[in-house]
Amino acid sequence: MKRINLVVVTVLLVVTVALLSLKPQNIQAMKSAFLQVISPFLKTGNAAQRQITSVTKGLKTLEQLEAENQRLVIENKNLKAFNQTLRNLEEDNNRLRRALQYKERAVFQLIPARIVSRETGTWWNTVTINCGSDKGLAPDMPVVTEDGLVGKTTTVSKAISEVVLVTDERLQVAVDVEGTQEQGIVQGARVSSVPVPLLTLNFLSKDAKLEPGQKVFSSGIQGGVFPAGLLIGTIVSTTKRALDTQAQVAPAVNFGDVEDVFVIIGGRRN
Amino acid sequence: MLFLLLLILCSFAALILQTFIPPLPWLHGAHVHLMPIVMFYGCFALPYPAAMTLTFCCGLMWDLMTVQVVDSSVEISLGWSIISYSILGSMMHGFRPLYLEGRWEVHTLLTGVFTSLALLVEYLDITFRRQGLHFPAQVWWLIGGTGLVATILSPFFYWLLERLAAWVRYEPEPLPQE
Repeated sequence: MKRINLVVVTVLLVVTVALLSLKPQNIQAMKSAFLQVISPFLKTGNAAQRQITSVTKGLKTLEQLEAENQRLVIENKNLKAFNQTLRNLEEDNNRLRRALQYKERAVFQLIPARIVSRETGTWWNTVTINCGSDKGLAPDMPVVTEDGLVGKTTTVSKAISEVVLVTDERLQVAVDVEGTQEQGIVQGARVSSVPVPLLTLNFLSKDAKLEPGQKVFSSGIQGGVFPAGLLIGTIVSTTKRALDTQAQVAPAVNFGDVEDVFVIIGGRRN
Repeated sequence: MLFLLLLILCSFAALILQTFIPPLPWLHGAHVHLMPIVMFYGCFALPYPAAMTLTFCCGLMWDLMTVQVVDSSVEISLGWSIISYSILGSMMHGFRPLYLEGRWEVHTLLTGVFTSLALLVEYLDITFRRQGLHFPAQVWWLIGGTGLVATILSPFFYWLLERLAAWVRYEPEPLPQE
C-alpha cells in the first residue's frame, strides 16, 4: 500500500472514530449547524417547487381569486370571534382553577410554519419546517395542524427545524380513547408502502370495547411533550391479544398533503 | 484536487436535490438517491486517497442529514455511513481499471447494488436497535427499488460528470505498471 493511501486512511479512520464517540447533545449541535448551512437551499428549493406546482395546477382567474378572498375574509372573522370566545373561557377556567387552588393550565401559543422538505432518509418519517430558534422553537415541541397531531420537533437550528412525525415508529404518544376509560400508547410503523400508514395503539385493557370511528386524543401525561386533547386519529379496527387489546388507528392528519403546520410553544402568552 | 472539490460540491447539490424528489409510488415507495451516484463515480474516477476523502465527506453529509436525536438518544450515530461508504467505495475503486479502459457498464450496475447495500446496512442497524427482526416485503422493495433507480440514473450522471471532468481538464492517473 502506498504511504499516502495509508496516511489518508488512518487520518479518516481516526476522525470517524472520534465522530462515532460523540455524545447525543454534540451530535444534535452538529446537526443543528448543518441544518443552518442547508436552510437557504431548502427554502429556495421549496419555493421553486411551489412555483412549479402552482403552474402545473393551473392559474386562477381574477374572479375566482376575489371570491376565494371574500370567503377567507369571512372565515377569518368567524375564527377570530370564536377564538376570542375560547380565550375568555380559558381565562374563566383558570380563574376558577385558581379559586380551587388547582394548578393553572398553560396558555399555548401557536407558531405557523411551512414544510420545506420531507423524509430525507428511507427509514425515518420526518419533515423539515421553515421555523427555528429565531421564532422561539426548541426540541420536543408539539407540531399540529387544524386536523390533529403531526409530531414533535427534534433538532432545531436558527432558521429551520426537523420534525419527527407521529407515523414514525420511535415517536410514542400516550392517548385516551373518546368516550371510554381506555388508555394506551400510539406509535407508527417501521416501514409502510402507503404515504399515510395506520398507527398502532397498544396496551389497551384486555376487555376494551372499542368501535371503529372512535376518536383517539393525547392524554397529556405530566412531564410529557404533548398537551392533553390533541386529536391523533380514529380507531379502524381492534385485535384481542393474550394480555391486552391492540387497535389500528387512522391518523387524523393526511401526511401526504400537509404543507402548513403549527408549532405549540408552551408557556404563558403575553 | 480541483475535481475532488467539484465532486464534493456536486455530492452536496445532489443531496439537496434528492430531498425534493418524492418517493416513487409505482415502485412501492422507493426513493431516488442521487448523492451515492456522484460518490461512486468519484470512487472509480479519482485516485484512492481522493476517493476516500469523497466517501468521508458524503458519509458525513448523509449522517448529518439523517441522524435522528429523539428523546436524547441517537439511533444511528454520526460516522456509520462514513464506514459503510468507505468500504463500498473501496470495492468500487477496485473496478477503476475498467473505467480507465473507458468502460462503465459494470460501474452502473454496481452503483445500484452498492446503494442498496448501504440501505440494507442502515436498515439492519435500525432493526437490531429497535428489536424485533422485521423484514416485510416492503423493506426489500425500498432497498431494491432505490438501487434499481440508482442503476437506471447512473449512466446519465456519469456522462454529466465526465463532461465536468473534461471541462476542468481532469486526467485520471494511469495505473502503475507492474
